Amino acid sequence: MHRLALATLVSSLSCFAAVSFNRDIKPIMADTCFRCHGPDRSSRMANLRLDLREEATKPNRRGAIPIVPGDPDKSLIIQRIFADKPGLLMPPVSAHKTLSAEQKQKIRQWIAEGANYEGHWAYQRVAEPEVPKVAGARTPIDAFVRSTLAAKGLTASPEADARTLLRRVYLDLTGLAPTPEDVDAFLKDRNYEKVVDRLLASDRYAERQAVPWLDAVRYADTCGFHSDNAFPAWPYRDYVLKSIKANKPFDQFTREQLAGDLLPNATDETRVASAFNRMARTSAEGGLQPAEYLAKYGADRVRTVAGIWMGATLGCAECHDHKFDPLLQKDFYAMKAFFADVKETGLVPDQGPQAWGEQLALPSPAQKARWDKLVAEIAAAEAALAEKRKSVSASDWEKSLRAAVKDWVVQVPVAVASKNGAVLKAYSTEPVLSVYETGGSVVSDTKPGNGLIVAEGPNPDNETYTVTLKPGAGTWHSLGFEVTSDDRLPGVRLARGSDRLVVTEIEVAVNGQKVAPAAARSSIPYWDQGLTPWNVIDGKPGTGWGVATYRTQRANFLAIDFAKPLVTATGTQVVVTIRHDSRYRRAVTGRFRLALAPTPNAQPASERSGLMTIPALPAKIEGTTVLDMTHPELAPLALRLSRLESERANLRAQIPHVVTTVAAAEPMVTRVLGRGNFMDESGEIVDPAVPEFLGKIPLPAGQKRATRLDLANWLVSRDNPLTARVFVNRVWRQFFGNGLTRTLEDFGSQGELPTHPELLDWLAADFMKDWDMKRLVRQIVLSDVYKQSSVATPEMMEKDPDNRLLARQSRHRVESEAVRDVVLQVSGLLAANKFGGPSVKPYQPEGYLAALNFPKRDYSESHGEDLYRRGVYTFWQRTFLHPEMTAFDGPSREECTLNRSTSNTPIQSLVLLNDPTFVEAARVFGERLAAAGGDIGKRIDAAFARAVARPATAKEKELLTGLYQSELARFRKSPSDAKALLSVGEAPHAVVAKDAADVAATVSVARAVLNLHEVITRN
Amino acid sequence: MDIGRRAFLSRTAAAGFGFTALQSLLRAGTSGVVSPLHFAPKAKRVIFLYQAGGPSHLETFDHKPKLREMHSKAMPESFTKGQQIAQLQGKPLICFGPQFGFKRFGRNEAEVCELFPHIGGIMDKVTVVKSMWTEQINHDTAHAIMNAGNILPGRPSMGSWVTYGLGAESSNLPGFVVLMSSGRGGQMQPIAARQWSAGFLPGKFQGVKLNSNGDPVLYIKNPKGVTTEAQKKTIDTVNALNQTQYEHLRDPEIQTRIAQYELAFAMQASVPDLVDMSKEPQSALDAYGAVPGDGSFASNCLLARRLAERGVRFIQLYHRDWDHHAGIPQNMPLKAEEVDRPTAALINDLEQRGMLDDTLVIWGGEFGRTPMSQGGNGRDHHIKGFSFLLAGGGVKRGLVYGATDELGYAAVENPVSVHDFHATMLHLLGIDHLRFTRKFQGLDARLTNVSGEVVKGLLA
Repeated sequence: MHRLALATLVSSLSCFAAVSFNRDIKPIMADTCFRCHGPDRSSRMANLRLDLREEATKPNRRGAIPIVPGDPDKSLIIQRIFADKPGLLMPPVSAHKTLSAEQKQKIRQWIAEGANYEGHWAYQRVAEPEVPKVAGARTPIDAFVRSTLAAKGLTASPEADARTLLRRVYLDLTGLAPTPEDVDAFLKDRNYEKVVDRLLASDRYAERQAVPWLDAVRYADTCGFHSDNAFPAWPYRDYVLKSIKANKPFDQFTREQLAGDLLPNATDETRVASAFNRMARTSAEGGLQPAEYLAKYGADRVRTVAGIWMGATLGCAECHDHKFDPLLQKDFYAMKAFFADVKETGLVPDQGPQAWGEQLALPSPAQKARWDKLVAEIAAAEAALAEKRKSVSASDWEKSLRAAVKDWVVQVPVAVASKNGAVLKAYSTEPVLSVYETGGSVVSDTKPGNGLIVAEGPNPDNETYTVTLKPGAGTWHSLGFEVTSDDRLPGVRLARGSDRLVVTEIEVAVNGQKVAPAAARSSIPYWDQGLTPWNVIDGKPGTGWGVATYRTQRANFLAIDFAKPLVTATGTQVVVTIRHDSRYRRAVTGRFRLALAPTPNAQPASERSGLMTIPALPAKIEGTTVLDMTHPELAPLALRLSRLESERANLRAQIPHVVTTVAAAEPMVTRVLGRGNFMDESGEIVDPAVPEFLGKIPLPAGQKRATRLDLANWLVSRDNPLTARVFVNRVWRQFFGNGLTRTLEDFGSQGELPTHPELLDWLAADFMKDWDMKRLVRQIVLSDVYKQSSVATPEMMEKDPDNRLLARQSRHRVESEAVRDVVLQVSGLLAANKFGGPSVKPYQPEGYLAALNFPKRDYSESHGEDLYRRGVYTFWQRTFLHPEMTAFDGPSREECTLNRSTSNTPIQSLVLLNDPTFVEAARVFGERLAAAGGDIGKRIDAAFARAVARPATAKEKELLTGLYQSELARFRKSPSDAKALLSVGEAPHAVVAKDAADVAATVSVARAVLNLHEVITRN
Repeated sequence: MDIGRRAFLSRTAAAGFGFTALQSLLRAGTSGVVSPLHFAPKAKRVIFLYQAGGPSHLETFDHKPKLREMHSKAMPESFTKGQQIAQLQGKPLICFGPQFGFKRFGRNEAEVCELFPHIGGIMDKVTVVKSMWTEQINHDTAHAIMNAGNILPGRPSMGSWVTYGLGAESSNLPGFVVLMSSGRGGQMQPIAARQWSAGFLPGKFQGVKLNSNGDPVLYIKNPKGVTTEAQKKTIDTVNALNQTQYEHLRDPEIQTRIAQYELAFAMQASVPDLVDMSKEPQSALDAYGAVPGDGSFASNCLLARRLAERGVRFIQLYHRDWDHHAGIPQNMPLKAEEVDRPTAALINDLEQRGMLDDTLVIWGGEFGRTPMSQGGNGRDHHIKGFSFLLAGGGVKRGLVYGATDELGYAAVENPVSVHDFHATMLHLLGIDHLRFTRKFQGLDARLTNVSGEVVKGLLA
């Protein structure tokens, strides 16, 4: 059925008498014949190929000739396709393909006319066709389109009205709507070209234009397989943004991404670009077979490169020769071999020092200077410590230490309190249930609490605990803070939410007098994300100690040494304040104990203890840490080193990092895998090469192996028939809703023939002159074809319902990012002045990530303006993309996506109606409209001007006024509803509501306006 | 034109169909794209009780006394040589006998692990397939092949295929619904949303996840301060405004939008009723072992029956934590307790309501577990042989189909691949898997990829 529609369309476009192989015959054969009589050897029947003239015209074993040029009646295939007997009929019944009478006739006519084959159109070198002379055509694009229109008896539409045109070009170029001021200015000067140039130069243009590229390269913020943890990728997204902004030529853009590390003058920028090769999904699942995943990563790259630059479905050739195109299985692996030098492992660790493999640090000059200084200081401190160690006997010291040091004394608090509402409960001998993971399974036990403090109830973003201890008479040298894991807690299972635990400060006081700290040490072996123990005593709320990556350790112990011993009498109360003031939400301790050390030198305990004492020393001392930290001669040096290392960890956490491509000295061996089976090591070894039928990359003497850079150069060479065609076709689609061929991802024989082949070639040839992406876009949006009205006449609907001939503009919903952006922008909430930066987390329903694990996932929404940034900056979680994005067809970016679909579903309506982001936007929009004053009619005018760049009609005003009146009555009756609606979201109020019912009713009007189809439609 | 078809139209028009062709397609009055069906259907809907993580076939349906005899002896290399191995890579391979006894149930005296007496009690109503096998040895990709017949992202899951092929019977609920529960005793492996993705099919065939916490469907609740009447009034106003635009522009997409707002409101009205179990009699809750609102597998089984009654086409329940790399003896009883009673209750309930005949119920996971021990008391991932349970919807009753070898390693008698399973499921629904295709990247893509045969021996 689908095919019929396509075939009808194709035939309706072919109005010429003579049959053309490419236009008329090949699509039929590709669909019905080539599966068994095409390029793939393994599925070929009767040893017959119909895709090559030479093969199709030679006699078979029995002497019959499949195709006799000029003589259909003698041609075997004619006898077979017209056969009456089902047993003889081609295609056979089992293929479930039938040829229509018209198709059969076409084949017959083609043979009668000499059975002339043509090379596949997309594989022919791009010539620059002559621009047809068409009266009134202002640009080459107009000339090509109008010449086809004339042939079909259609005429171009007039230019769209100014408001529609302006909104169209804003949405297309920037993904945002024009403001009322923009509209007024344009209505005044009508200088369209000036608008276009201003938009092309803007940051907003880059943010819009980056999206299809990011889809194609499958840019995301998480690794995609299994646990789907976050990996450092966003600097690569910023590279794409900046390159588009700077209008980097497409050939250079290509070279930098495929081979930025191999360029002779490689810079940090080009190395960031080479992160392109690292965007494949990776897995850290325990027990994966490395060879299997290396095969997957390599195949992913082949599919991506073939899709983006070649419009080739080369992925089909992973297991066998391509069924329809001249792509051999060997070609697939030869393409894969280009990437065999990318340094990587099958299991890509998602935590620890080896996480994510090769990374590039991107410090600012100041950070770099500080980093270098710290590195030198650390080296010196390490050397000093090592030198000193030589004069100390570790075993003697351990003996005296064991004799002197007493165990930690666990404290059962006398009072616990929280600042923001969490309910703390301290346990003495009462039993407490604990659930934890051990040896791969989750167990639970119930034991006396012994000083355990558990937080429950309200779960605020930030929280401060105050715990009062009465330790009795004694002298205390350190405070111990043991955070206990529980499997019912999310994330790292130590905090009450969020993706991490962050304790920002811990203070100890007696009688209101602060006990000065001297040092802080912890049992956590490495300090990821700069969460070092020193941060809890630095007095800065912005830094903290904690855990950002899930580990199975049940207890994490922090020791704070006092500068002077703390002496307590029988009744002395010691108050411990534990602050959680980080920007991460709910990164607040879930379960903990406090302990005091009666002697100096108690160590952070590495094992969990349910007893009233916690060992001060490990049973067996390994390494030098304990010696360094306790020996009077070493401790000052060790503490200095620890401080420096803490500083370095903090600095590292501030320096952006990105995965990058590092070329291994010895590329991995690439074999053809029989049927794609990674365990088959018998296949032929292949060197990097482009698909054989497209030629060969010439190598200079002395170079044995083609590189990724050679591949990039070949892709963007003037002789490459595919790259420019494939790219300009995708760009065309952005501005017309369809590509000139709609199969953006398949320029092979199964792809759709272009509706305007000469135009496609002209654009491609022109593009290759300078690979100037902005110039390409500029000439499209300045054409009259682009500027036409999108209103279809009945004649157009009859002759060209799908608008393939472009007698009018098309109309389509904007993409998922723009749905968000436009609504936020109209409301005034959009944070549109920042460009680039780390990905952000807008509101997202609680529990949306519940199906993830390792670690269990919660979601820490961003703060302030980061809640309102453009969709291009939204944190892209591959396995659970933000639900608004998913609803509006944002791709998961698990795979190269070249052709986003455009659906229209009830889930979209639910998002626009009820998603807090959209409700908050309506709230702020309504508040602003109300703040501007005026009656409801005036407010509706203002709302329409902002939302759809036009005044409201009388009918529209009447409908919305009706809504306003009924809502006003409702809110007057129920002020609590008004209050509730006006409290949605974190954005500050735009107006102090004197009359809350009036403001809330205006919000309801704003909400209705933001739900209009027109708001998210580009007309 | 009904709502569903309008949505279909808008999406497909963009995806490469001729508009007029589509209109004629719609006039033909089909609800799904397979119309008429290729065969008379036996099943109208599917409930897939997906045991995620990979349940051990050796402690459920596949009794291997020989493995018990071989316990703690080396696994003969003849079984394992050249085969894929997951976490046991490079480790000694030691036989690990079944950790629980088996009992015989039903007319055919089928053997079922003693931990599952309720499932044992319905053996005359179900078929056990003991000869399943798959290709993928890690959870993520094994889920992908089980759901979409393909490990590449962007391929539709079977629920999407089925809904696309058959259309939906419910006008105010999605055609494909996903439920998820977890329990005790095992690692909770992640499950990606990709597993219920519509892939290259239109977005409306995407599985919609029903949540037991928070909003049952994302964004199904009115915003704070918006009553149902106010929501209705807002939607009516939006639709009236959109209608004025339609009269001006005659863009069919606007009509689709209007219909989607109506449908959204209908969903908002019907979902609370769907998940409200208060009207279920205590006897039903007891039969399933369900406590309303607990989000358990038992509650989800009961919810699945309610969804089936309301015409939802494909209902998939994931129950997690079957990944028993360790602690088979401790953990299997926990899992059995969670699933045994509700599984049997669902099948009995459907039967009593006369719905079992046209509902295909499937019970199974993405793979099985090794006959070899991991860490002395666990089992690793295993792809060469595992068990499925099928009931209703045109499947034979009281049958044990296929077998693994004497140690439970590989399916040797009547092996059933995942593609065979998909082909058989589609067959029962009235669809020929070879003819049920959609163009994607130049190929006639299908759920069964490039293989798969209907398993005739399973058909009643």
